[in-house]
Amino acid sequence: MAEGWPKQRQVLGSKVPRLDGAAKATGRARYTYDINRPGMLHGVMVRCPHAHARIKAIDTTATRKTPGFRALTLIGASRDVVITAIDGNKLTCTPAGKKKAPDERISIEVGEGVTLIKNLKVVTLRDIQPGDRVTIEAEQWVIGRELFYAGDEVAAIAADTEEHARDAARALRIDYEVLEHVVSEDEVLKDRKKRTVPAPSNFTEAKGATQGDVEAGFREADAVVEATYGVPVISHQCLEAHGLVAEWTAEGGLTVWASTQATVSTAQQLAARFGLPAAKVNCITHYMGGGFGSKFGPDVQGFAAAELALRAGAPVKIMLDREGEIVAAGNRPSAIGTVKIAGKKDGTITAYAVDCYGTPGYTGGATVNLNLLPYVYSDAIANWKRSHAVVYVNAGAARAMRAPGHPQNCVLTEFAIDDLAARLNIDPVIIRRKNLPPNNPKAPPNSWAARRNTIYNEQIDIALQLSRWKEKWHPPGKGNAQGPLRHGIGMALHTWGGFAAAQPNECYVIIGRDGSIIARTSTQDLGTGQRTVTAVVVAEVLGQNPASIITEIGESRFGLSSGSGGSTTCPSQAPAALRAAQAARDDLFKKVAPKVQADPKDLAIEAGKVVDRKSGRSWTWKEFCARLGMEEARGRGEWSLGIANEPGNENISSGQVGGVQVAEVTVDVETGLVRVQHLVAVQDCGLVVNRLTCESQVAGGVIMGLNYALFEECIRDRATGRQLNADMEFYKLGGLGDMPKITVHLQDMPERGVIGVGEPPVISTAAAVGNAVFNALGVRVPFLPLTPWRVLQALAQGGKVS
Amino acid sequence: MSQPKQTGRDGITRRGFLTGSGLAAATVGTLSSTAPAALDPSSAATPIAFGPAPVRLAFTVNGRPVQVQVEPRVTLLDALRNYLDVTGCKRVCDRGTCGACTVQVDGRAVYACTLLAIEARGKDIRTAENLAQGDTLDAVPAAFVRCDAQQCGFCTPGFVMALRAALDKNPRATVAELEQAVAGNICRCGTYEQMRQAIAQLVRKEG
Ligand code: FES
Ligand code: FES
Repeated sequence: MAEGWPKQRQVLGSKVPRLDGAAKATGRARYTYDINRPGMLHGVMVRCPHAHARIKAIDTTATRKTPGFRALTLIGASRDVVITAIDGNKLTCTPAGKKKAPDERISIEVGEGVTLIKNLKVVTLRDIQPGDRVTIEAEQWVIGRELFYAGDEVAAIAADTEEHARDAARALRIDYEVLEHVVSEDEVLKDRKKRTVPAPSNFTEAKGATQGDVEAGFREADAVVEATYGVPVISHQCLEAHGLVAEWTAEGGLTVWASTQATVSTAQQLAARFGLPAAKVNCITHYMGGGFGSKFGPDVQGFAAAELALRAGAPVKIMLDREGEIVAAGNRPSAIGTVKIAGKKDGTITAYAVDCYGTPGYTGGATVNLNLLPYVYSDAIANWKRSHAVVYVNAGAARAMRAPGHPQNCVLTEFAIDDLAARLNIDPVIIRRKNLPPNNPKAPPNSWAARRNTIYNEQIDIALQLSRWKEKWHPPGKGNAQGPLRHGIGMALHTWGGFAAAQPNECYVIIGRDGSIIARTSTQDLGTGQRTVTAVVVAEVLGQNPASIITEIGESRFGLSSGSGGSTTCPSQAPAALRAAQAARDDLFKKVAPKVQADPKDLAIEAGKVVDRKSGRSWTWKEFCARLGMEEARGRGEWSLGIANEPGNENISSGQVGGVQVAEVTVDVETGLVRVQHLVAVQDCGLVVNRLTCESQVAGGVIMGLNYALFEECIRDRATGRQLNADMEFYKLGGLGDMPKITVHLQDMPERGVIGVGEPPVISTAAAVGNAVFNALGVRVPFLPLTPWRVLQALAQGGKVS
Repeated sequence: MSQPKQTGRDGITRRGFLTGSGLAAATVGTLSSTAPAALDPSSAATPIAFGPAPVRLAFTVNGRPVQVQVEPRVTLLDALRNYLDVTGCKRVCDRGTCGACTVQVDGRAVYACTLLAIEARGKDIRTAENLAQGDTLDAVPAAFVRCDAQQCGFCTPGFVMALRAALDKNPRATVAELEQAVAGNICRCGTYEQMRQAIAQLVRKEG
């Protein structure tokens, strides 16, 4: 059992402005995109313009002659081999590495279009002998390569300027055999045998599960509603594009500046690719311009930048352009589901059945979180059935996006609840309360399982009050009309984990004899405020001002950390910082105590001073640290899910949260325009470390959810298979003027320890807005985003909900 | 094209910049000169053409006179970021739809990705870096820090510059006017709620 959070708190839980705020707001913070290294080359990606094609021929001659051209690499054209024989310029080799197929013989004639790399250097035939392990990249090896979406990477090119790199890319001649493509889910549903993707067919039979007797549940109900709801594919739209700057060091190491959510794993992946010890690769992410789940490794362009840097003997930067960013760097998958829900007048849901599908692009898995359907309420609903089918299309592969699967689950559940409430003629809050998961009296007292029913009920109370639900709610479509404007209010619930990561997270704290304090960790701050969180924790333990802590973060060489996904960073890193600071403090006491004739056990930090409780003596921090002499005090802290789960540690970090959101909207029935007027977000967040940035996280999640609700959708052209809005003008994101007033209520539960809240607040916003629009119109607009066109269409059809 | 007259440090006079600037956009890439373009600043009647070879340009960035040699197709944004290492202006959409690259050109808020560098010759360019002098922070970024009107911060210099320009134009700008000033800026992290608080503070303090 570890020493827990300090009982008396000075800074923990207060509002601390982010330490790097001024640097970021004045443009002095250097993001990956801003790195300019001496002699750095600029790289660009060449992408397939067709939604499905095969490379027939390639000619790089013109490209290699363009001004400023420095290096080119073809994606999928290189192989690691062991040379078995050399005959003139003909090489015979076998595949090297894990996938070794001993009988496979590769022969290649070395000439133009063939690059040989040995020991991380470009070499000629003369430099190699039988037995050597080399990497061969041969232009001819891309012939026949199949490309599965418009935007699939074909090549990467580096030149002295970005302009020259683009010229060189334009000069690349590639002949494609254009193949049949599909980009919309409904076309696949019409012909399930179709195959335009790597899987055996574009349609994969549904997987599912059942509990109880769904048919009986439908029979015993007072009302049954069946409808189809859906959310589209959307884009992460990180403002800082994916990309990295790669620089080989004179010692054969590799330094990369990467826009990543995972410095450590990015370095490890690059080390593995180039056969380097992991310690020889350093991945630097001091500042990061948004990831939202899409940035977990070097990616194709990152490996390519390192390849090009190797060949050109100069640093290379590749940042994706906006179109590449949207088509190739991940997206959130769609989900369309037919839901049948049944309930009684008292609000009990007697049965819920969902049959859904969605597309993750040309490859990937389920597009909802199937194990959590029906969402939030599954433990209270006796009878349910769920199934999900994956539909592949010729589009870039989906990636995790802020609470993967949950916003989709939320829509497929919460829309149905309000439609059922309307049929039962009751306030939907009655259904929500009635079907909340029960408390489990056998679970540990502070755990989610023990308290979830109570937590949700409290949250609903708070949300009702902050939104003035009782005076504002009316039966759907029965509110006061002001000219063409209809008023509506809607609610939705969500849940999320937010536990510490399974992988170890380290933090180091170093106290100098001048009293300076360094907190060092390899973790990255994506904008979550993690840098400041680390400083707040260390400052709390050592009785200092957070602004005085020197934070060194975002370099893989600083130790172990996990990728920032699943809202795991704060619950992993805050406890690691806590333990590191405690250990550094203890080391300080141990080293200085003999010099001041005290027992380390009697020493404590109070109000920024070190006190000897026995003698009553005290020293200022600087005075005390000065006694370190030539030494420094050091502490290492580690945290992970395994440590968090040890008995007695549940007050340090835990997980599982709930949240409730209420949206109030006005809908113009003439123009179809939806305006959200007010959004209330009640979020359970355990122990709050920094209230200022925690509130920002919640409000930011809500705003992203509002964008899902009103604006966002990737639109792909059936004829060409290309995305029509791979940009920022037709892929709409809201501006300041589109945003409602947002009321954030953090439901503190310090006894539950630190819990991550990056993801949960994004989940239920769109469902709450959709329900508010239903409440305004009395007609369901079943598909997001709630564009004027969709609203008018739903009104025209009278909202067919059978 | 006639011989350049040796005037000024880089052979181009300020008057030459001004006569050239109006034509720049129309003549980009129409000339096949391979040497850095030679300009005749003395005759307004001579159409000035640039490129495709690099052109030497001069302007001031945050009060510092700078020279840069770039092809005429290079935007002000890329000239600043790639050639002058001034990276406070961010490149996001690169086509005038997000506001992340907002800078002040002679005081006006301009999307640096929509202006060619040659159009900025002789002008006074200010970027977000200008808003901190030593330890003193301009009121706009200071309000952003206080209210936490930023998360990843990649959009932030653009918002800050748009507000700075609006307040320079009218130090008594209203909340509505300041909201209007950032209507073209996009933030993906969703910092608008905190930004409203920052704007309210700026209005109370009159910029
Ligand atoms: S980068 Fe200039 S407006 Fe987006
Ligand atoms: S703070 Fe990240 S985009 Fe605005």
